[in-house]
Amino acid sequence: MVRLLYIEDEVDIGKWVTKNLQEKGYEVEWNQSGEGVDSYLSNVDLVILDVMLPGLDGFSLGKRIKHAKQTLPILMLSARTAIEDKIEGLRFADDYVTKPFHPDELSARIEVLLRRFSKSDERIDIQHLTINTKDLQIFNRETGTEILLTGKQYHLFQYFLRHLNQILTKEQIYEAVWGEDFLEGDKTLMVHIRYLREKLEKDPAKPVIIETIRGIGYRVKK
Amino acid sequence: MKKFFKSLLAKYILIIFTALFIMQIGFLIPVLFLYTGNQEENIHKANTIEKRWHEEANHLDGPTDKRILDHFEGWKQKYPESSMFWIDANGKLAAKLDVTEELPRNWTPSFTAQFIKDRYDDDPFTVIAFVGDRQEHGFIVFELPRSALYEDNVVGEKTVSIFALLIIILFIFISILFFRGIRKRLVDLQEAMEIRDADQLPVSIDVKKNDEIGSLEKTFNQMVAELRKSKHREQEEEQLRRELIANLSHDLRTPLTKMRAHLYTISKEDLSYQGERAVKITEESMKNLDRLIENLMSYTLLTASKLKFNPEEVDIIRQVRTSLASWYPLFEKEGFEIEVELSPFEENKWKIDPLWMDRILDNVLQNVLRHAKSGKFLSVKSESTEEFDAIVIVDHGRGMSNTSNEKGAGIGLSIVDLMVRKMDIEMELNSDNTGTVIKIKRKNKER
Repeated sequence: MVRLLYIEDEVDIGKWVTKNLQEKGYEVEWNQSGEGVDSYLSNVDLVILDVMLPGLDGFSLGKRIKHAKQTLPILMLSARTAIEDKIEGLRFADDYVTKPFHPDELSARIEVLLRRFSKSDERIDIQHLTINTKDLQIFNRETGTEILLTGKQYHLFQYFLRHLNQILTKEQIYEAVWGEDFLEGDKTLMVHIRYLREKLEKDPAKPVIIETIRGIGYRVKK
Repeated sequence: MKKFFKSLLAKYILIIFTALFIMQIGFLIPVLFLYTGNQEENIHKANTIEKRWHEEANHLDGPTDKRILDHFEGWKQKYPESSMFWIDANGKLAAKLDVTEELPRNWTPSFTAQFIKDRYDDDPFTVIAFVGDRQEHGFIVFELPRSALYEDNVVGEKTVSIFALLIIILFIFISILFFRGIRKRLVDLQEAMEIRDADQLPVSIDVKKNDEIGSLEKTFNQMVAELRKSKHREQEEEQLRRELIANLSHDLRTPLTKMRAHLYTISKEDLSYQGERAVKITEESMKNLDRLIENLMSYTLLTASKLKFNPEEVDIIRQVRTSLASWYPLFEKEGFEIEVELSPFEENKWKIDPLWMDRILDNVLQNVLRHAKSGKFLSVKSESTEEFDAIVIVDHGRGMSNTSNEKGAGIGLSIVDLMVRKMDIEMELNSDNTGTVIKIKRKNKER
């Protein structure tokens, strides 16, 4: 079970969020201040932090946690919406959600973060595929065979899975996967997407797994 | 007084005085040594001539024309510029050598007296001597232009002129050096004044001398210090203001979050149709209130010029595409037909604040989503003409003159307007009942 550490001083909000997350199947440890958080760090999978806290504020606390454990994702949940606050927060945190928020948005973002940090051992079903996100094993449920990808295809698909349901621009994908600046007119990405579709899609001419969002980029939807 | 001696004025006065002093010395030395020396020498020379002329005249006993002329010739060799003549005992002009002036043949006593009077201490230098030891053979006259006597003196005057000229040249040279030094320091000062630090403030200058330029440098440093202080104060105020607004926004949002939490809990209950409707309306109102708080805060900061503005070279097509990527699912959910055609401009980099641009795009797209739902159409294209490059956003809503279900005070558009103006781009808005066309334009520099 995924364990979350949630630090929030507002009792009403704290109770409500805890209850909601528990309903969604998470184990939640809710603290009203940052005191003694160090003892939890080794056995939680994600930290949700408010900014305005008694004692040590959320920014300082977040930095300390990130410093202590690089691989622990931090989600800031704050009523401070100024862009400066978001920028300050995103220097160390992995996501920044502003209050008021919808509980479904919060859990969606938690899911994305867990996937990004490979904290969830879930198996994702996309169309006729079942994907084990931890070791990125892809199975075709219909034929019962495993689909093997080459290095670049693997990176590309992994990047899509980490940003499941998000529309990714061509520039964004190319720069993340190839680590170089994207040059307008470069066909490399298109070619690799085609190869990937040939392996994953039932009908590569009518792709349903890797969607083309015309004029913008691509998306893999769960 | 001490300050005066350190001033440039004092230095220049000193140079002038030194030059004058050297010139005085320059003139006095020749006058005192050369000129006085020459004078004495001249007097000595005249006396010698006079003495010898008298002595030799005394020894000319029994003179004949020939003897006198021989005597004259002897002197002529020694003094080539001289002229001589002899008036005998009868007052007649008996002999002459190289005399140029008109001389009477007969000399009356009165003419003789007049001649002696005229020539006394005059030019030419004239010596008159009686011939023979008994002075009975008339007198001989020796004339020599005084210039011949002062010959050496001319050389002395030349030396003085050259010396004076040298001093003037030296004075001009020192003056040029002096002003060149001043100019160099002023140019250095100007260059130092143009240097800016990270805060775009001028930096302090090293004060090397205590003169007028030194005072200028000190005053400049004082100004820099004051500027820095005021900038610091301004930053502190800005920080306080930002902090205040951030806190205010936080304090307003916390109860809003609680309300939302409780509303969510209520929505999970079994509700009647009326109840569900109330929850939905309350939820929408809360969303609007949240947006209004955000806009109000931004507007307050923006109008007070306290919203951070960091312009940089931004790839506009890329930014619009990224922004669209995040908005796409929302339009998709509402069933919009979405057309995106973004091709790069000739000059793709716009000097804008990317956060502000995001804000503008968010505002425009949010308006389409809120007010143009009925058209179910959104198109975002790039358009390039001779005059401008533009991002064109089109919807098929009922237009801006028709009130949509969600009215606002237009604060969002005011923010966009302020941001657009500050970033030196334009926003053109055309709206009728078939839809709205918004162009975010940047004028092309002359191609």
